[in-house]
Amino acid sequence: MTEKKKSLRLRVLSFALVLSGIYFVFFPNKYTPLSIFDFFRGETFSDQEIINLDAFSRIPVLRGGRVKPIDSVARNTLLVLRNKRTALDENGSDVPAVKWLAEVLFTPERADELKTFLIDHDQVLGLIGKKLARDGKYFSYKEIEPFVEEIEKSAQDAGKIDQEYRNYFHQNIIELYHGLVLYRNLKTTLIPPPHAPSSSVHDHSKLEPLFYHADKDSSRTDEYRRFRALTSEISANPDGIKMGNSEVLGPLMYFIDYYARFNLFAEFFPLPPEQGETGGKWRKIGESMVGTEPLESKQKAEIEPARFISTVRALVASPDHELSGKITSIRQNLKMDPSALFAAQYAEAIKLRRGIDPIIEHYEHLGRAYRENDAHSFNQTVIEMRSLISQRAQADVSTIAFEKTYNGFEPFYRSSIGYLWIFLIAGASWLMSVYGKTGKGKNRASQTLLDCAYLLTGLVLIAHTFGLAGRMYIEGRPPVTNLYSSALFISWGAVLLCFLTEKFLRLGIASAMGALIGFGGLVVAHNLSIDSSLNPSGDTMEMMRAVLDSNFWLATHVVTITIGYSTTFLAGFLGIAYVFSMLFRTVTKTPKTGKDLDKTLVSMIFGITCFSLFFSLVGTVLGGIWADQSWGRFWGWDAKENGALLIVIWNAIILHARWAGIAKVRGLSTLAIFGNVVTAWSYFGTNMLGVGLHSYGFMDKAFMPLMIFIGSQLGIIIVAYLPSFISLFIPNKQRGRVA
Amino acid sequence: MKRRISSDLLIPSVWETTTNHKMSDKKKNITSLGERRKKFSFLIPLADLRITLTLLSFSMVLIFVATLEQVRVGIRGAQAEFFESLYGIWHYPEQFWGGEFLNPLPIPIPGGYLLGGLLILNLISAFITRFQWTGKKMGIQFIHLGIIMLLIGQLATQAMQEESRMQINKGESKNYLERFHGVELAFIDVTNPETEQVVALSQALLEGGGMHYSQDLPFKVKILGFGPNCEFNSLPPAREATGPAEKVNRGVIQSANLEIRPKPEDFSSEGMNFGYVVFELLDGAESMGTWAAISHPAGNHWWAQINPKMGDLAFQPIRMNGKLWGVTLRPEREYLPYSIELLGIANEFYQGTDIPFNFESEIMLRMGQNQSRRALVYMNTPLRHEGKTFYQYQMNKAADYTVFQVVRNPSWLVPYIACILVSFGLLWQFSFHLARFLSKNAAANKSMA
Repeated sequence: MTEKKKSLRLRVLSFALVLSGIYFVFFPNKYTPLSIFDFFRGETFSDQEIINLDAFSRIPVLRGGRVKPIDSVARNTLLVLRNKRTALDENGSDVPAVKWLAEVLFTPERADELKTFLIDHDQVLGLIGKKLARDGKYFSYKEIEPFVEEIEKSAQDAGKIDQEYRNYFHQNIIELYHGLVLYRNLKTTLIPPPHAPSSSVHDHSKLEPLFYHADKDSSRTDEYRRFRALTSEISANPDGIKMGNSEVLGPLMYFIDYYARFNLFAEFFPLPPEQGETGGKWRKIGESMVGTEPLESKQKAEIEPARFISTVRALVASPDHELSGKITSIRQNLKMDPSALFAAQYAEAIKLRRGIDPIIEHYEHLGRAYRENDAHSFNQTVIEMRSLISQRAQADVSTIAFEKTYNGFEPFYRSSIGYLWIFLIAGASWLMSVYGKTGKGKNRASQTLLDCAYLLTGLVLIAHTFGLAGRMYIEGRPPVTNLYSSALFISWGAVLLCFLTEKFLRLGIASAMGALIGFGGLVVAHNLSIDSSLNPSGDTMEMMRAVLDSNFWLATHVVTITIGYSTTFLAGFLGIAYVFSMLFRTVTKTPKTGKDLDKTLVSMIFGITCFSLFFSLVGTVLGGIWADQSWGRFWGWDAKENGALLIVIWNAIILHARWAGIAKVRGLSTLAIFGNVVTAWSYFGTNMLGVGLHSYGFMDKAFMPLMIFIGSQLGIIIVAYLPSFISLFIPNKQRGRVA
Repeated sequence: MKRRISSDLLIPSVWETTTNHKMSDKKKNITSLGERRKKFSFLIPLADLRITLTLLSFSMVLIFVATLEQVRVGIRGAQAEFFESLYGIWHYPEQFWGGEFLNPLPIPIPGGYLLGGLLILNLISAFITRFQWTGKKMGIQFIHLGIIMLLIGQLATQAMQEESRMQINKGESKNYLERFHGVELAFIDVTNPETEQVVALSQALLEGGGMHYSQDLPFKVKILGFGPNCEFNSLPPAREATGPAEKVNRGVIQSANLEIRPKPEDFSSEGMNFGYVVFELLDGAESMGTWAAISHPAGNHWWAQINPKMGDLAFQPIRMNGKLWGVTLRPEREYLPYSIELLGIANEFYQGTDIPFNFESEIMLRMGQNQSRRALVYMNTPLRHEGKTFYQYQMNKAADYTVFQVVRNPSWLVPYIACILVSFGLLWQFSFHLARFLSKNAAANKSMA
């Protein structure tokens, strides 16, 4: 600073504020236990006497098309079930996500007691006989279990209603049902559902000795081994596969059916591709045992038994090196023939899928060690299986360690707190400049706060940027891939622009508005991530549909258009800042020394609108070119395209109105504020229409917030013109008398 | 005089000072603008920025309303009603607040052709009477030239672009396209099993009605009725059909005793339009009978599955002078001088999800003289050949067929050029602006220090 000397008090204050920023951004706290240093520190080996859940949480699995640490599975599923990244125990204290998932996977009966489900709709609560005021909104599976059938029935009824006619009860009951299914699937990912042979079809006495018995067997692998013994017996003697030979066929068909169903009830893929296998397919446990059913289960009814059995026999009888060729040939050429397709699955299960995947045994060990609280064996098994999995999955697991730390670091949570803090500091500086001590002292104090706000913006921006960069590294994609990440990016762009503006114009307005957009954008992003219709798996890094799967266009069109949104919002928020500062002056009757401020604000709004026009126009045209490349037309009047065009036209209107001299200071500000309405409509409103190629999901939950936002913007525009209206009815003289 | 021009020019205040310098430096440019303004003085009112603002505001209304209407009438319907017309009539949606009172009120909305045309006029007038043709203002000129090109390009595209589809089963090959919209009445001579001779009446001819002759047809065709969409049902034998099929006394419609009830065309993207035509064939002056035909939107081979009696709608036989002709109403076809064989398809999903990451068709493109090449058609990578572009559109893995969308758009290059012009112009202009802002700021900082 050019000033001579700051008072000691101010220096301490600014030091403390910047320090608080550094703490928010980089250091661990109660809600985000990991710090920036954990990225460099790597894994810390903790006490071998306690179960090392941190190491466990780094085991790679595949869910939602992507290999990720088990930690992400835990956090994402909890985000769906409870809209939080933790569960609660009976006493209401937090259970970390990994601990919760370990309980679900290994000791489901204990997990059932944890409060996992968020139910906050009064009608849904009524269905399970609870009241919000008395019982809260978090419930355990055990509390819900008696009502599962009723919930299922209501959800099915609601599902029959067209999406746009569903009310909040329908949506909530469907969500709860999906949550219950997700939870049950998690429970049966590693532990198969209980055996239930039907007495009319199966000979129970033949099956019973093969089943797993907790008292006799050391683990479930014993059952798997007995099944393998059965299939190797059959493949040694294929002639035994014949009609009426229920001795052989009965258990075989029961187990293949049972394990295949086990696939359906598993939430993620725990088993990496097998050694030396090309193509890199992950498997569920059932799949590793017997493959997957080629068609839907109900098409089994169309099997012709005689042909099916003879095909299985012929396939099993053929030599090993021919068999896989034959199976592939059936799958390619007989797509409409259930008998042949199921026969191929059976032959694969009997003859090709030999042995038991060692990872299955590892998971069994892990489960037993966890139940018996045998820390040593647990930790040892985790180390062994992780090295085996990384070896088998090869390139897939390179980002796992980073993702695990990234999850715990929660860069966007940190940033949102930081932005709130900045907004408060900038606001305090304004108050100080108006109400503070007169003379030089007040200016210096408010100036110090402004400098702090500026520095903090830079610091928080580092965390925000790190968050975006982390997502890019994990996904291997440009920053914007879905609605969630667009909200992150829009707020990031606006904050960055504000930071640069504040560098030149240290007024605090850019800092405050940047912080407001930054905070708002991150809150919107969080709400998008917990919207189960948009994000059913809870993973914000979902895979891209085929047509979007183009990093080039994502990096050009999507990024440019998102910057266009971002700058339009920024211009609008600066307009809001103008309206409030004008009102503030009118109400407090501050003499109009703010002429200079007005001029600066207007040139900021004007300049940023120029940016908006540039980015939205170029982005829209790039979108047209992408559309020309993939659908054969440059422009198709698709809802999202029209929305982008609206932003372009609106920015053009603002600039031309300014050039024509029609819009002066207030006019420009209100036009910019209406730009918020236009952008909000294009950004969210068009998606709600549910028409066109860009409709990523019908978001009825966002409808009310959108309407409130639009209403608030229109309200501010009206407020901006209130002084003129008042002076229209109460002439100046009279007003003087009243006052 | 100088002052008057500069205020008329409505240049942004930030640039005013530079412009003033220019005026004193380069007299030539001012005279040229002055001359232009004199020569085309009648254009000056048309070039008014307030007109631009009004037109732009109306386009916002138009685009917003048309987007809302897409929910009701589909993208194509909204396009026809609002964008490809001089004006459209809008009714406030019933389900919105106060809809029951406001809905009956017809609200005219200026259409795309009207606003687009006026904007082009406004822009060209501005070009002549307002823009300075100088280096510093080059950006403005490029931007607006680009906008004019975009507008004209869109008009040209809507006039010239043709969209068709091509469905190929695995292992088979096709040498024709089918239009998405529009049918044709085809007469096919299958007497010689080696060659097929086809005479087709396009939808435009069917809509026009009247009598049609062709030297390749042994009979005359008189169109009695045509519609783009209809409902049909089979009547019990005793009942006589009314409506368009009333006069039909030959062919499938008569034997199945079908009644046809015309329906308006469904423009929505899932719309199934069953076009129909009623026609009389004449041998000289003598009537051979009256037939009718209906086209199935998914292909006429579906008729046999709906009702065996209606299977012949794909091919209603007519014998004449020892020749066998078949008649059918089918999506309008365009035959190509080359053919495409489908070798294989791939439809892959991310593991454990229902999110597709690849739709891909492997094809063999066979041109004349034994020339051929292999190609892969997948998302964002179409096949381009002889002015046509083949995009991966639909795919059925179980039934092993693929559908390409085929587009011919002679004006496809225009938006690309326009895009370059506009981006260049914007960059040019805004970098001037930014440079000024930064230098001004630096100067201010200096003075403060």
